[in-house]
Amino acid sequence: MGVALSAVAQTPTGNGGDVPFKSQPIQQPQSCLPCHQRQYDELRQSVKSGYRNVSPLFNGLETAGNFITGGLLRPVYADSTKLDTNGQPLNSNMFTTSPITDGLQLRAGFCFTCHNANYERLANDPTQREVPEVTTGAASAVGGGFRPDLFRPLRDYHMTDTSGKQILPASIGGYPPSGALPSKGTAGISCDLCHNEGGPDLERSFKGDGFANTSLIINSSIEKVGPFPFPVDVKNNFHIASNDQSKISFLRSSAFCGACHDVRLPGGGPGDLANNEFNVHAPSLPYFRLENLNTEFQTGAYNTPNNPFGKTLRCQDCHMSLFPYSPTSTYTVGNINVTNATPAVFAQNYAAVPGISTDQNYPLPLRQVVDHHFTGTDVPLLSATELQARLGPDYPDPYEPGVDGYGNPLALASRRQKLLEQAARIDATQTDPQAILGQDFTVRVNAVGLSGHRFPAGFSQERTAYIQLSVTDDNGFVLYQSGYRVDKPHPDTGEMAPDGNLDDEDNEHVHVVVDGGQAVPVGSYATGAGNNGSKNLVFELGPDNGPDDRVYSGVDAGLVLFRNELTVIFAPGTPLGRNDANGNPIVPAKPHYEETFNAATANTVDNYRSLQPLVPRQFRYKFTMPTKAELAELGVTLKAPLHVHTQINDEHFPPVFMRYLVKTTGPSGPGGDKQLLTEATIDTYLKTNPNLTSSDVTATLGGAQ
Amino acid sequence: MSFRKLALTALAVTSAAVAQNTPTAGLTTGNGPYVPGVTYQADNPNYLNRNPFYFEGRVDWNLLKITTPSTPWEFTQRGIHYQDDLQDTTDAIADYQTAISMNNLTNNTCQLITSAALVAPNATLTPAPCMFTPRLRLAYLMIETSPDVAIGLYQQVLQIDPLRLGINAFIGEAYDNKAAAAADATSQASYLNSAIAAYKAELVLSPVTAQSTALTGDKANNAHVHWALAADYAQLGDAVNQASELQAYLDATQWHSDTYAWHIQLAKTRLAKLNAQLHRPIDRPNR
Repeated sequence: MGVALSAVAQTPTGNGGDVPFKSQPIQQPQSCLPCHQRQYDELRQSVKSGYRNVSPLFNGLETAGNFITGGLLRPVYADSTKLDTNGQPLNSNMFTTSPITDGLQLRAGFCFTCHNANYERLANDPTQREVPEVTTGAASAVGGGFRPDLFRPLRDYHMTDTSGKQILPASIGGYPPSGALPSKGTAGISCDLCHNEGGPDLERSFKGDGFANTSLIINSSIEKVGPFPFPVDVKNNFHIASNDQSKISFLRSSAFCGACHDVRLPGGGPGDLANNEFNVHAPSLPYFRLENLNTEFQTGAYNTPNNPFGKTLRCQDCHMSLFPYSPTSTYTVGNINVTNATPAVFAQNYAAVPGISTDQNYPLPLRQVVDHHFTGTDVPLLSATELQARLGPDYPDPYEPGVDGYGNPLALASRRQKLLEQAARIDATQTDPQAILGQDFTVRVNAVGLSGHRFPAGFSQERTAYIQLSVTDDNGFVLYQSGYRVDKPHPDTGEMAPDGNLDDEDNEHVHVVVDGGQAVPVGSYATGAGNNGSKNLVFELGPDNGPDDRVYSGVDAGLVLFRNELTVIFAPGTPLGRNDANGNPIVPAKPHYEETFNAATANTVDNYRSLQPLVPRQFRYKFTMPTKAELAELGVTLKAPLHVHTQINDEHFPPVFMRYLVKTTGPSGPGGDKQLLTEATIDTYLKTNPNLTSSDVTATLGGAQ
Repeated sequence: MSFRKLALTALAVTSAAVAQNTPTAGLTTGNGPYVPGVTYQADNPNYLNRNPFYFEGRVDWNLLKITTPSTPWEFTQRGIHYQDDLQDTTDAIADYQTAISMNNLTNNTCQLITSAALVAPNATLTPAPCMFTPRLRLAYLMIETSPDVAIGLYQQVLQIDPLRLGINAFIGEAYDNKAAAAADATSQASYLNSAIAAYKAELVLSPVTAQSTALTGDKANNAHVHWALAADYAQLGDAVNQASELQAYLDATQWHSDTYAWHIQLAKTRLAKLNAQLHRPIDRPNR
């Protein structure tokens, strides 16, 4: 068993390479803990390690994508009997195929690869396999096709009993059985992914540049790549601290992060209609950019010395340093004065626990060390109790009190808020100084992104950052508002009356209800949106329709939304999924553009609504003041001065997107209840990060009242 | 050499190595690796090649690295830059006009897409599909000063995508502008009726149905359209329809409020007066 495992690990299909070191099975983080307690504790908080694999949202999205594609997003392995689009064996997945030349190879394990590459590759050995293959395609396909009713969320497979044998919840998606332990694969992106790196996988990346979709060579040997050029020998040679300067430099570079933090989706029919990019190894494989974070960084100002800090910065300088708890720097961008945490300030500490971790107890030097919290925009959407049931009793509460060894908050939620507060600034001082009844008044908000990538970033088509604006008189009478939310019922997910919570409300630029789909009799399953959800059952413009009006029509009014947009361009003849007033399906005769909330349904994307780093933009709100007659009708007398308040808020997922997942993975969805999300999940765990930055000005009131 | 300098030097060496190892030979133009400051726009990941539609929207101008626009898309993007970033509407209008002249049904430089087969993956379309962004942008810049031009452009957009939301409402707004500038009452009434027709066409595109009400609780939508309709009916002296539209506006804002939140109270005030007026007993002549 051990031999077979080593052989698989040392000569992985389509990955790895010549490594002159003894092979070593993938290690659990717990194996690293005795000597690297600090790093273990920090990484435990990171959503990429552990949480992501049990996340109801990640599991729900992967499930929704499989409903639409007929199971194509689940990995295939070396022993698969499936065929690719050319009738050739399909026995490698997104991680183990090099180069990728067929869309089915790219789709196989599309979500799983980025979050669990090591264990996807190990699964070529059936005895090491956690996530099984599923039958794919329409009901008429070989093996009876995809069965939504039998489909289990990925997290069901991440449980074992005390002997290490895989166990499954009694019901699909159910709570972990009593005594269940997290499987090896549950750890996801942990120590033995990054520190086993062997450089960028140029061959497997779409553009031959080592970017995106885990374009990373990952070895499986005792050579562990750390950041230091002269590491100390490890006790008992548990591992070798790499002296390979090219690997060390790669680990320290932004390019290392770029291997995963760009995500490129295969373009579905009718193709990536807006951006003609395709895999250089297979021109028949168009793609579009879902996560575009590292490209944004690479083409941005922080990847040059032309930034306030006068030097090229790296991802690690903000996400693995003392940032955002480092000393502040002050600088000016456009007309905006910024005082913000300083990147690239690292703590002094030991890289390992002194006295137990080095050969012959060789003394460890104090070094500048990196932080492994990897704080970003996500916070788990699970209770601490469930997190611990799925990930182990030592899993931290995202809202836990206390501070770490550097005096910074332990709680991921607190760290996130502080990080996001560094991400942007706004300034409203160029607003009209005077408002006159019955005339136009213009609020001018200059906004600038300060992050290394655009803001928001990552899954930026759902990351909902926006400007909240209010213009009031001195008595609080509201003259204009934008970026506001209204407490309302959500009958589609069972919330029949307003619940007093605004964090579960969307902005008011569009009103959307997404179809969750519905089950069909066994033997009738067909791929596509049809019965599998994702089309908009309701799609209406709201009163705060800024995003589209601003982008397409140049209107200076309405919501400023920095969220990017997944778009579906319906080809002529493709039903929108809803009916007209007479009950007839609405079918476009010409191409029709509409926002969609499932990447599997999108065929293009707008990644330019977010704020680019260090390039200020001005957003104007031009609105009309009430006339004297209108105020008289209302019985209102305005009192000067007027107060203009602007602030940026952020929510890591929009409620409309989560409600779609509630429905498509719920009891009425295509596969029955996967027990992932409910309306209560949204109400309990979705939190707005308010007031990341703000600006307030006053204006006088002119004209006769 | 300090630790930081050593690290940065190592990083620079690595970055260069990665760049050198990146295969560049034999790549199709437009899909090669992008080297900031070195590779011109065809390889720029921010320069969005037509496939087969142009990218409808706005790309940050500084990322495009365009020195002189040469395509309708490039003129559109520069026009957006002039309008949004520089507030130079004169040059924006000129660029949008150029873009439209180069992407136009009348000179056969664009076409309407009427079949899914035309937009299959990697399809090559000659002439290119007609774009809506420069038309919408130009129309809105002209909506007050030249509402007829704006209406014509909006009609072109409806030819491109008849289901696109908001376009009919813009047409209604343009007719309202014409009504405001009308020389006589007859013309004004005619324009107001045209505006009403356009607003009603907007409502048809996102209908309130039994299903939408069941899913949202909304008895109406398109609050701003109903507000505009109420105003038009008021000008026409049609109290019944004015009241109906004010009620629809209140229904539409019930769960969504309004950017002009004070309109809600004003609508209630006006509706109360109208209802009182409409329900007043009719004066009967003495017999």
